[in-house]
Amino acid sequence: MKQFIVFLFFIQICNLHYAQQSKVLNAYVTKLNSVKDYSVNAKIVAAVPMIKIKEVNAIIYFKQKDKFKIETKGIAVLPKQGFLDLNKFLATPSKYMAIESAGKEISGVQTTMVTVIPIDESTDVILAKLWIDSKRNIIMTSQLTTKSSGMLTTTYAYADQIPFGLPSSLVFEIDVKKFKMPKSVAANIHQTNKSTNNNKDQKGKITVYLTGYKVNKGLSDSIFK
Amino acid sequence: MMFFKNTYNEFIKIAAKPRSYIGLIALSVLIAVIIFAMKADGSTYISFVTASFEQTLSFSGDIMNGNLIAFIILQMLIVHIPLLVALVTGDLISGEANMGTIRMLASKPISRSQIVLSKFTAGALYTLLLTIWLGFLSLYVARWIFGTGDLMVLTSDGLIIHPESDIEWRYIYGFLTAYLSLLTVSTLSICLSAFAENSIGPIVSTMAIIILFTIIGTMDVTVFDTIKPYLFTTHMAAWRSYFEDPVPWDAINESIRILIYHNVILVAIALFQFNRKDITS
Repeated sequence: MKQFIVFLFFIQICNLHYAQQSKVLNAYVTKLNSVKDYSVNAKIVAAVPMIKIKEVNAIIYFKQKDKFKIETKGIAVLPKQGFLDLNKFLATPSKYMAIESAGKEISGVQTTMVTVIPIDESTDVILAKLWIDSKRNIIMTSQLTTKSSGMLTTTYAYADQIPFGLPSSLVFEIDVKKFKMPKSVAANIHQTNKSTNNNKDQKGKITVYLTGYKVNKGLSDSIFK
Repeated sequence: MMFFKNTYNEFIKIAAKPRSYIGLIALSVLIAVIIFAMKADGSTYISFVTASFEQTLSFSGDIMNGNLIAFIILQMLIVHIPLLVALVTGDLISGEANMGTIRMLASKPISRSQIVLSKFTAGALYTLLLTIWLGFLSLYVARWIFGTGDLMVLTSDGLIIHPESDIEWRYIYGFLTAYLSLLTVSTLSICLSAFAENSIGPIVSTMAIIILFTIIGTMDVTVFDTIKPYLFTTHMAAWRSYFEDPVPWDAINESIRILIYHNVILVAIALFQFNRKDITS
């Protein structure tokens, strides 16, 4: 009898966990996991208040499970939690709960909204909202809220790498209201016009155009050293 | 012709004085210390600068490169180099008066005005040498040690990242403008030297003026707002403006104009003073 009760309890837990998984998200994660490695040419265009930078060309390398490298000749600015963090978080379904609900229409595509909540409290991610095209199993927009970096909204566009769920461009929207300049370093004692726009609530946008994907060609680990 | 010969002689006099090498040695040591510190723990310095941004953004690429080191060196040292300049140029006329050689100098077949102008020219050459040495050490040695790359500059308006291909001209103009600033210090100290009979007075007075003007420039008091634009110390950091985007050409031209005015006026005062100076007693 005791064993039967334990068995029933186990079944109940499994059902509960199953209920907290999203089929749409699982399909996306399966697609994501089909990419073992890739390299891609990137053009990074940053329009972030208080930062002036010209567009930068880079090569991005990725290898499962979490090897990631950006190779640039110059200095590139990217969101702190952009490329890998969301996918890394989503790759382990046992670490989060996912709830599906009706989404919105994005670029003429009706999406399903999946709200992802981590089970582990120690993780940096607080909440992730994903608008997924359930027919093609690709994320159209994501909204990641983290303890360290606040909210990051990413809009995805796709071209020829849809079978792998890899985007052709990513538009990151970041909150820049918290930027404070260290006065001892930044202050120009000879400057007479005082800057007044540092504390305004502003949005920054970083667009990454991705071309020339080489998917599952087998990348050497030495690239990531 | 006599003017050039006298200028050459003045430069030889500068070269013969041990104190003339203090500036070059001090610069070399200071730059070596900064380069060593940056090599040992430059990432801490960088993270201090970028800490505010790195809550949201990440920077990829080689930030700590020779171009950034050169900028840091210039920013740190441009405040202190005037002392090294004044140490030599503040002695050019008063040193002669102190040693009693001024009468012998004035007995040469050369006008007093030409004597003063040749001292100004020799002082300008020494200042140029110091600036070139500063440029060589900060830019080329730093690039040799740290490599080259994009330049990240922090201004009070934010962060500017200049591509590597867009940096060289900024440094060339920057050093030329920094030279004009140091030349103003050199001219000031020679001008004060025309009034003095000993070496220490003009050197200390030059530094005291620079400190006073700098403090007035930094004080956020409206009563000084009208005089701030006319103080030469306000324009000594004009070199930094070449690293802004867009470059404030009007402000730079204004700074250059004011520094040139200072030089012309100080040379005129020195000429006037030296021509009426009693050297017989």
